[in-house]
Amino acid sequence: MVSLSLFWEVIGKSVRGASHCRSGMTNQDDINYYPGQGASDTVMIAVSDGHGSPRCFRSDRGADFAVKAAVGSLRDFICDQDPCQSLSDIRQTAKDRLSREITMRWQHSVESHYKIYPFSESEYQILKDHSHFYAYGATVISVCVTPWFILYIQLGDGDILTVSAKGEVERPLPVDTRLFANETTSLCATHAWADFRFWVQTDLVNLPDMILLSTDGYANSFQDDSGFLKVARDIWEILRSDGKDYVQKHLEEWLNETSEGGSGDDITVGLVFPSR
Amino acid sequence: MIKKRPGGELASRPLHFFWVADCSGSMSGDKIQQLNTAIRETIPYMQKVAEENPYASLLIRSIKFSDGAQWHISQPTPVADFKWLDLSAGGMTDMGKAMSLLAEQLQIPPMTDRALPPVLVLISDGQPTDEFNEGLNALMALPWGKKSVRIAIAIGKDADCDTLQQFIGHSEMQPLKANNPEQLINYIRWVSTAVIKSVSSPPSQPETNSQSVVNVPLPPLPVPDPTSAGDVW
Repeated sequence: MVSLSLFWEVIGKSVRGASHCRSGMTNQDDINYYPGQGASDTVMIAVSDGHGSPRCFRSDRGADFAVKAAVGSLRDFICDQDPCQSLSDIRQTAKDRLSREITMRWQHSVESHYKIYPFSESEYQILKDHSHFYAYGATVISVCVTPWFILYIQLGDGDILTVSAKGEVERPLPVDTRLFANETTSLCATHAWADFRFWVQTDLVNLPDMILLSTDGYANSFQDDSGFLKVARDIWEILRSDGKDYVQKHLEEWLNETSEGGSGDDITVGLVFPSR
Repeated sequence: MIKKRPGGELASRPLHFFWVADCSGSMSGDKIQQLNTAIRETIPYMQKVAEENPYASLLIRSIKFSDGAQWHISQPTPVADFKWLDLSAGGMTDMGKAMSLLAEQLQIPPMTDRALPPVLVLISDGQPTDEFNEGLNALMALPWGKKSVRIAIAIGKDADCDTLQQFIGHSEMQPLKANNPEQLINYIRWVSTAVIKSVSSPPSQPETNSQSVVNVPLPPLPVPDPTSAGDVW
């Protein structure tokens, strides 16, 4: 297997939506990444958007469980891979195993939480005939960069964008037509594992110079898609001109300004880029 | 120097609201007059709800149907600038043609996929006199047709509730029966305020293939006033 000795860094931020600040609702998004700081040849990141509806009354916890399940599953997955294995085998194993593993870990976390904090009578009434998983409903988007491949994973709405070394912005995963209006695939669905979408990039020559993951509150804040794609290009340029610390310092104010002037929704963004 | 915020122009999400009013001969007199009054008087309440949620841009249009269907207010009008023009009644009930007009405007484009679910309010006191299913099928074939929030107000005892139920498209909500002016005003007020409030910040919904689920959780219906007049229509 061909490998590349490149080190990567990860930063990210999650902000409470402007409309949620008005209504008193907590941030329903979450983010988790590895390593927490510094550079590594293997990094992984996950963002999640809890649904936030009255029936998904624990979706902030669901989002927390989702990002931890994704990063934990990816770490174990990478450790288990035999470097002599072919990339097509890895791709197949990822598709076969990871979606089930992430779903299973998320469900396990929900079960444990639900046992300790069972629903009140009124919460059961709100939930109607849905399972207790529904109350924790959340999406998950994750990326794992290794010396051999980059793995992109998505369940539900939100975006993954890549920026090439020339500054070209692309979506590595095609648009999912099921995600229309406010409907989304979700970890709380009965066969959630079957709804995951994957892409494994094995082309180590044309590696992205930055990967951006975001919850849908970000894209929904722009007048059109080109305005959102410009986010990735602009952050990439700022990273190159002013460095990681500058982006990290200003990310929160950028996201708050975007939510206030746009969708009003929670916004979470994760960035992966080569260490310079 | 502090860099400006990354990304292009920001915008709140558009929320398209459509009044679809029956102007057939049976609506003439008190019914059409009360409908005009109810919609006109509810405008300040709509404006207040819209002001409370700056993250949605409420845009209103109106279709009238009798002999054929026409745009009564054709431009998506920001609620702050919205003025109601009185409708008059006379002719048949070409409800299917009104559905076709809606379908033309719910395509992408002119709609965008970042819009909030559009709200379609159908108000009628009778039965369609044209090919209703043809128009409805064209509407429901569209992604925004399927995902729209469809509400029907049945005026009087002769309203065709089966047709209005077909328009709603699921069993979790029934046509709202307005049998007197007070009930009509209450329902018009409800769709113009409580429904708009719900639709302007809809939470994500786990995807389902079922047609029987409401796209946006709707607020409780207004409680009938026990002191209001009995059935007069």
